[in-house]
Amino acid sequence: MRTQISLELSGISKVYGSGNTEVRAVDNVDLQIKPGEIVLIMGPSGSGKTTLLSMAGLLLKPTSGVVSVNDVLTSALNQRQLAQLRLRSIGFVFQAYNLIASLSARENVELVMNMAGTNGAKAPQRSLELLSLLGLEQRADHLPADLSGGQKQRVAIARALANDPPLILADEPTGNLDSKTGREVMELLCCGLGRVQGRSIVIVTHDHRLREIADRVLWLEDGQLQAKAELTPA
Amino acid sequence: MGAIVAKLAWRNLLQQRLRFAISVCGVALAVLLILVMSGVFAGSEEHAVLYIRNQPVALWAMQNGVANLHMSSSRLPADTVEQIQAFPGVDQAVGVLYASAGVEISVTVIYSYVFGIDSDIPFGGPWSLVEGSDSPGLNEIVIDRNLTQRYGLRLGDSVSILGFPLRITGLSEGAFGIATNVVFVNKTAMALLMDVSPRAASYVLIQPEVGINIARLAADLNQAIPEANFLTEAEFVASDQEMIRQMGADILQLMNVIAYIIGVLVIGITVYTATLERVREFGVLKAIGASMAQLMSTVFVQSFVIAGVGFFTGVVLAYLVSALVVQISPEILILVEPYQWLSHVPILILVTAVASLLPLQRISNVDPLVVFEA
Repeated sequence: MRTQISLELSGISKVYGSGNTEVRAVDNVDLQIKPGEIVLIMGPSGSGKTTLLSMAGLLLKPTSGVVSVNDVLTSALNQRQLAQLRLRSIGFVFQAYNLIASLSARENVELVMNMAGTNGAKAPQRSLELLSLLGLEQRADHLPADLSGGQKQRVAIARALANDPPLILADEPTGNLDSKTGREVMELLCCGLGRVQGRSIVIVTHDHRLREIADRVLWLEDGQLQAKAELTPA
Repeated sequence: MGAIVAKLAWRNLLQQRLRFAISVCGVALAVLLILVMSGVFAGSEEHAVLYIRNQPVALWAMQNGVANLHMSSSRLPADTVEQIQAFPGVDQAVGVLYASAGVEISVTVIYSYVFGIDSDIPFGGPWSLVEGSDSPGLNEIVIDRNLTQRYGLRLGDSVSILGFPLRITGLSEGAFGIATNVVFVNKTAMALLMDVSPRAASYVLIQPEVGINIARLAADLNQAIPEANFLTEAEFVASDQEMIRQMGADILQLMNVIAYIIGVLVIGITVYTATLERVREFGVLKAIGASMAQLMSTVFVQSFVIAGVGFFTGVVLAYLVSALVVQISPEILILVEPYQWLSHVPILILVTAVASLLPLQRISNVDPLVVFEA
């Protein structure tokens, strides 16, 4: 059974600049992600959603507050340990897909497994299995440039799932997709390979239609989670 | 992750094939420069000892304090040859006079090793005669065929040494090199020119009796004839080559340093440019959990691929150039030997590592938050 994860952000803030130019991108946010939970973070542009996701993904250190993963304070970890934690416990899905242009779809998935130490025949086998689950078995050996936006995002999801992480963080995963493709991608991420397999999923989005798949919808504005903004899923 | 990193690095390089080809050519040319320069020097070292190597003797005598042929002057007393010949264990001893002088051909002067030899000697003269006589008379000279061909000379034509005309009566082979040219004149005539006794010698070539311990014989001769220095062929060759090496070492080292700097720049700029083009991808890899070691290995693989392919291309080119040059100009010997180019491998590894520093620094500064940029 997959190791479950609990992610807790306590009183975290991120401040850029100082004095008159100070900007509080995220301001004293408390957020707890329970194992198996799908959480949507919404809010207007510039509200601090991506900054919050960056800190949840251990890519950005908060100015104040703590981020703990399974009750371990991440501020106590060095860069190498943080990278290891991201590699094994967090899968990322980005708006811009961020696939490696010179590697095929299969190799993009395989790369992440290789980075985590999965080598030999296991990595190619698992990458093909994941791509097949996402309906890309015929496109496995194609370069990203030869794939459509939806296909690229499905490869990105396969890559995010490659090391079987208990937590998926997605930043505007449907932002570059048409509504139909976006819906298909989100169903795969949340209903097919997310909720069914018990992963925690945090999605930052502007797309209100995604509310129906979330367990919890949070509203972020001016860097703060609004007091009455814990919205009921549609 | 080795295979996929290698694949990623390789694909990054091949995405810009022209740039990859140019960088490989740059490294290859730097390596070619190093190998040809050192090959020319090695060839000069070999040419400088042509005379010593081609005489079938195991032991050489020269004036005490002298250990070289190149840029040396040696004078042995008139009776030394007889003394050596009479020494137990010596089968044959032949004295030759030697001086370095210019052979004047029209208005051109060719720096040469001039040997004065007696007629009917068992060794000490031309080792490969292709035409004419190997025993020059009083006003005669034996010179290399390649030299005569270069200047349109033939048997019977004249050249001069120190203004004295000498008729070409013999053509030898393999005695004309870029650093040295070996010619043979009559020993009596040369003695007159040098104002010494015709029985005197600069060097004595000694053939020991069969079964004699050469080193022991040399030691005994050194003790018995203190005014002479006795060296085995290997010692004599090594001493001369060392002198040539020292004379060229500074130039060679300077050229090597220049070539290595070119190599560092070519590899460094290429890999840095390739890294800049892939900064976002390095940021992605960082974000999804690649360690610095894993990121660094992609840079190193790219650098070492360029260096490795460039190096072996340079080695192949050096062999081709050396073969081509000897066809065009037989006097230029470019010696390219495996030990020679293999000796550059550790330095090349160092050069490649240095060239990787800038791209590595760029990678270490990549912000993984680049992944959130649309």
